Amino acid sequence: MDFGFTAEQQKLRQDLLDFIKQNVTAEVIAEMDAAEDEMESSGQSRQLGHRGPLVSALFKKIEERGWFGYSYPKEYGGQGGDRVSQNIIEEELLRVGINIGLAGSGAPAIMAAGTEEQKRYYLPKLIKMEYYFALGFTEPHAGADLAALKCRAIRDGDHFVINGQKMYTTSAHFATHIYLMARTDPDASRHDGISIFIFPMDTPGLTVRPLWTIQNNPRAPRGTCYGDARSNEVFFEDVRIHESCLLGKENQGWRVGSMGLNLDRVGASRYLRSVRRDEDIVNWLKSNDFGGHSPAHNPAIRDKVAEMWIEAQVCRLMTLRSMSIVERGGQFSYEGSAEKVWSPEHGVRTTEAITQMLGPYGSLLNGSPYAVEKGVFAHNTMGAFQSGINHGSVQIMRDQVAKRGLEMPSLRRAQKVK
Amino acid sequence: MDVLLSDEEKMVASSAREFLEGECSTNLVREMESDPIGYPSELWKKAAEMGWTGMCLPEAYGGQELPLVYLGLVMQEVGRALAPLPLLSTVVTSMAILEGGSEDLKQELLPAVTAGDVVLTWAFSELDPRYQPETVNLSAKEQGDYFVLNGAKMFVDYFAASDYCLVVARTADASSVNAGLSLFLVDSKSDGISHSQLKTLAKDQQCEVVFNDVKVHKGRMLGALHGGWPLMLQLLDLATVLLCTQMLGATRMDAEMAIDHAKFREAFGQPIGAFQSIQHTCADMIISIDGGELLAYEALWKMDNGMPAQVEVSQAKAFCNEKCIAVVRNSQSIHGGIGFMMEFDLHLWYRRVTAWAMRLGTSYEHRERIAHALLDVPGKVVLGQPVPVV
Repeated sequence: MDFGFTAEQQKLRQDLLDFIKQNVTAEVIAEMDAAEDEMESSGQSRQLGHRGPLVSALFKKIEERGWFGYSYPKEYGGQGGDRVSQNIIEEELLRVGINIGLAGSGAPAIMAAGTEEQKRYYLPKLIKMEYYFALGFTEPHAGADLAALKCRAIRDGDHFVINGQKMYTTSAHFATHIYLMARTDPDASRHDGISIFIFPMDTPGLTVRPLWTIQNNPRAPRGTCYGDARSNEVFFEDVRIHESCLLGKENQGWRVGSMGLNLDRVGASRYLRSVRRDEDIVNWLKSNDFGGHSPAHNPAIRDKVAEMWIEAQVCRLMTLRSMSIVERGGQFSYEGSAEKVWSPEHGVRTTEAITQMLGPYGSLLNGSPYAVEKGVFAHNTMGAFQSGINHGSVQIMRDQVAKRGLEMPSLRRAQKVK
Repeated sequence: MDVLLSDEEKMVASSAREFLEGECSTNLVREMESDPIGYPSELWKKAAEMGWTGMCLPEAYGGQELPLVYLGLVMQEVGRALAPLPLLSTVVTSMAILEGGSEDLKQELLPAVTAGDVVLTWAFSELDPRYQPETVNLSAKEQGDYFVLNGAKMFVDYFAASDYCLVVARTADASSVNAGLSLFLVDSKSDGISHSQLKTLAKDQQCEVVFNDVKVHKGRMLGALHGGWPLMLQLLDLATVLLCTQMLGATRMDAEMAIDHAKFREAFGQPIGAFQSIQHTCADMIISIDGGELLAYEALWKMDNGMPAQVEVSQAKAFCNEKCIAVVRNSQSIHGGIGFMMEFDLHLWYRRVTAWAMRLGTSYEHRERIAHALLDVPGKVVLGQPVPVV
């Protein structure tokens, strides 16, 4: 057991903090915010169009320092470094709103299941954030029960023709590519007839329509847990793609997909989403009060702050545990699912607790007079629970802990009583 | 950074489990509930032969000089088996002797601890059960080469079995530097000491001990005169985190019993473990135990590496207090009626885990300690970075 960071890892964190202090200026952040606003309204800023000159310069510097894809092999554009260091890089940059994390990017699945050609083509660009995948999993009637998906891919020689619909495809309006789960064999059992395809968003026949979330107007401040103002529906009408777009083998997409989901859950982004508010409230309470009365002196509030702080430590430690498993090259039994129950639910508990500490001030949104910390707690009230829904709901995650971790039985069909 | 067990650590844990599975049946656990000293001396001897009593003591005193993390792993197995052993009270007191005792005292007692020849305990609490220095009123008055102790202590673990007891006494006013406390290692059979057993939920060894003009030689003082509190705090932190590991071991065993029960017990034509309400409860139980283990071992690891660990200890205990109780309560619920029948073993775990959660700091006390560190010290906090200790 080792809960510490090496001297190099500690130095790396300090380098990042120094770098951020120097380079991530208010102007850079403002440019990112403006670009996101534009992206949401136009939905046409693919192929890096969302990067203004300041952000492009910043990404160039990040690349020069070798911080992109730190734990990915050199031949695929990474640095061949360790997973923990990558997490340090992702964590510190994400704290100031710059997401270069590969969790949720599709990269872990390509690394695990892609052909050599796919790895060489996609990974370097994913790592540098030049490519970005929209994750095409959920459909109107297939959410938690993903294996019920209907989007159909029919083989036509060495091509596939895709028809169907995807929903809640969060980044479809700025993604360059889609990572699509579709049914290739409707006669096979639910899980055995599914394949995964990766191909460009501008393929003819693919259209994207916005779905506006409850975080739309006013925009959630940076760092909000699920502050996305926009999600999307994606429609496929006779979308014709070459068979080389298959990721993994035909009809074996379920395994690739669920493995990818598991790997995608590991990393700084989910952790920070769940625990940022714990830091925020402690630091706010230390230096603010309401007209001279500080909630930090209320014993009940102190007790709650400490309780939430402990829970946040468990989020941190479960992230480290997942990282340790990945670093040892091991497979998850239930640990990834356990983290995906604990952390999102903590995020909700702490957000609810904090808003009770702030009273009506907790309800003020971004831009409102008197908003506390740009309204992040009010926006988190609309965002934190989303973390327990997407990427495998907490109920599904508990099923997985029970079935995979504890080997608990499945329901039998009711028998007639004789 | 790798928070999983190393091969060596796994070996220590599994050999401890194997040993106790062979040596400590629930019959023995039940038998010791009504035993006057509460532990079987043969098992204690064997535990010492396993190296448990001297695990973290220096080799010079016969110990193995292993990190505290290893002791945590052993305590976890002791908790799993509910082994009725005065291990926690002995090792923690021995670490205080190592830290604050004279060389003579160390030579006299530490090899005997390693060999399993002595049982040690400590006495801190009095009427007010909080772990605050001002709660100590037992007085120690200097008389020539001796101190004379008068007062009473509560909740002294395994006192009836003990050979020596570390007594926290007031030698100066509570408002003075370091709270005016001094520590004395008293022979438990000294003239003037009387004790009575308290009847606890766990049916384990907890005593009230009364000191009536008890004489203890100056050479038996640990640390400096009036300077005992910092050493006592260290002892309490170590005892607290080790109690957490003991609780977690017991709680995991208790949860496993419920999960096994759910797999074979049938209702509505199903094993009840096929129902999601049961599955999700079991998932939460395991997640809680995992969380507690991570917190406790991080605290022990920090101690091993010479870092402040007060906040981490409090995190672990406050979390374990509430989560372990919830787990064993859920385990009772999954078992239904059989779970609270005397003849069925489950209650052995339930009664101990709940009782242990009440000792060495309540959730409220530990959370206040964390809140104090978080809120009353200037400067920003960052998760994952140490919180300033006050």
